[in-house]
Amino acid sequence: MDAGRFAALADAYGGALHRWPPAEQAAAVLFAETEQGRAILQRAGRLDAMLDRHRVEVPSAALHRAVVARAATEVRQERRRRFWWLGFGLAGVGLAGAVAGLALVTVVNPDIQSDHYVMDANATSFGDAGPEQTEEDL
Amino acid sequence: MGADPDEELVRRIGAGDPAAVQAMVARKLPRILALAARMLGDAAEAEDVAQETFVRIWRHASGWRRGHARFDTWIHRVALNLCYDRLRRRREWTTDELPEVADEAPLPDAIPGDEERRVNQALQRIAPRQREAIVLVYYQELSNIEAAGAMQVSVDALESLLARGRRALQAMLAGDGDD
Repeated sequence: MDAGRFAALADAYGGALHRWPPAEQAAAVLFAETEQGRAILQRAGRLDAMLDRHRVEVPSAALHRAVVARAATEVRQERRRRFWWLGFGLAGVGLAGAVAGLALVTVVNPDIQSDHYVMDANATSFGDAGPEQTEEDL
Repeated sequence: MGADPDEELVRRIGAGDPAAVQAMVARKLPRILALAARMLGDAAEAEDVAQETFVRIWRHASGWRRGHARFDTWIHRVALNLCYDRLRRRREWTTDELPEVADEAPLPDAIPGDEERRVNQALQRIAPRQREAIVLVYYQELSNIEAAGAMQVSVDALESLLARGRRALQAMLAGDGDD
């Protein structure tokens, strides 16, 4: 690691190496032992010291209780919502299956067309065999 | 990507385990409250954001599936979105964009015991995206990759925001941002 990269990382992440990108920490530790490295870290550390003065309050007991109290209701309602959506989903899958099945039956096994030609009660198998012979023909 | 240390806890919350709820609040509430307090500079608004963040955690627990982000990164993103909603509302932005340029004028010298208020003022005066980067990396101690993921920017962009933000803070707090 050269001085330029070391300074750029200190500008971004400050003077504490544990906040630096993990992939560059090993090289940074080596450079930090140089005089130039120490000067860069010292300068970055001055701003860190100022930032460390900014503290935030720990959560109050009332806030903790309010957050926990809301959990029971929200988790239960969400589980109920998910249950109903699952029900709707299964019903939808069932309906889709029924429609698909009906479509399949229609395609694979279409209605057989009625044979109108053999339904005439007067017809015989010889009905259209040819013209009738008369006595005059004999 | 390694194992997510929160995944099992989230699963138990989704299954309705009260002990897991308590554990999650103990583990995450201080972090989320600190994040919101530093982003907003207002303790009462930070509490509201923390509560709203947890409502979203409870609602998503039963359906939580790990995607590209760890659970901790996801809740940071949720809390940050809630903070930005409030920043936009509070400052009545005429557009949807928050300012990118910080007001880097030096702050008055601190009187003894007043340093914390001064740092808070400085944090609130830098551009929100720079503040977000510093809060995530410096105070929340997210890794560069996690912070970049939470901010939905590249690591290079994150480093640029961090460097510009720290320079602005240096100029305001110490008046020597050019060194």
